[in-house]
Amino acid sequence: MGLLTGVSPDAMQFYFEMMREDTLGAQAELDIRLEPLRAECRNCQAVHEFSEIAWLCPVCGARGLNFQNGDELHLCNIEVEDGQDRNS
Amino acid sequence: MAKIVTLEQRILKKNSEVAAENRRCFDEHGAFVVSLASSPGSGKTSLLEVALGRLRQEVAVGVIEGDVQTDNDARRIEALGLPAVQVVTNGTCHLDAQMVQGALEHVPFGQVELLFIENVGNLVCPASYDLGEHLRVVVASVTEGEDKPLKYPAMFRRSHALVLNKIDLLPYLRYDMKAARAMALQVNPTLKIFETSCVTGEGVGEFCEWILEQMARNHAA
Repeated sequence: MGLLTGVSPDAMQFYFEMMREDTLGAQAELDIRLEPLRAECRNCQAVHEFSEIAWLCPVCGARGLNFQNGDELHLCNIEVEDGQDRNS
Repeated sequence: MAKIVTLEQRILKKNSEVAAENRRCFDEHGAFVVSLASSPGSGKTSLLEVALGRLRQEVAVGVIEGDVQTDNDARRIEALGLPAVQVVTNGTCHLDAQMVQGALEHVPFGQVELLFIENVGNLVCPASYDLGEHLRVVVASVTEGEDKPLKYPAMFRRSHALVLNKIDLLPYLRYDMKAARAMALQVNPTLKIFETSCVTGEGVGEFCEWILEQMARNHAA
């Protein structure tokens, strides 16, 4: 999950727990990975990595960061146990 | 044994696919499509009413209206003698590509060169859904305060233009226009900003000119 999606990880977690009830995935866990935000300053060209949203360059203080990512909202993979586990 | 199934799927992939179909449909019909988003009551429909009065002199226009309930907005556009299609979302707080696709069969393409899509009044969810439009415009009225872009960055970051509406009310407000512009540009340095009043008509002409310019540029590309 990118930081600029506008999607809240807490809300996603909350609704996932609500929706998994009484399904095959009742025991399933959701592991959300937040992708750091990478940006280049339009003023000083410094490249930064942020763990939360920022709008100002930490080096020169200029506004106008050129974000290189942030819109990620991907389902990367699902970890499942295959049938043999259940039978054994 | 636990098995990991790699998916690497975008969660809104389906929406993006339908949006691409919408865009193809618009391009095939030679229609340029502009979406409008804002919080409720910032004046999207009023801006359309005033802007369409000018734009219709240059190009054939039409509107898709999105609302949670009522067809009030479509009726306002139809009252101008212009084609309007109302999408009622029945509770959903945004339009998605599928809802727009459903409305397209009612759009008289061929008679519409410039189509506006007015989204549900909401600055959060509409930001996440590509509708297939060519241009995204966000409206914020001056009565809402200067810091809407910082509070709802996704919407302002994904828009091409910002319309600061209701400027006729500025004499009655403590509103710092310079600060408002700075905050918007902080979130999106490429944002084109307009100041408008739908009461006096101020600034609407400039906004219309820009839309027509963008339309010409799109057709040339």
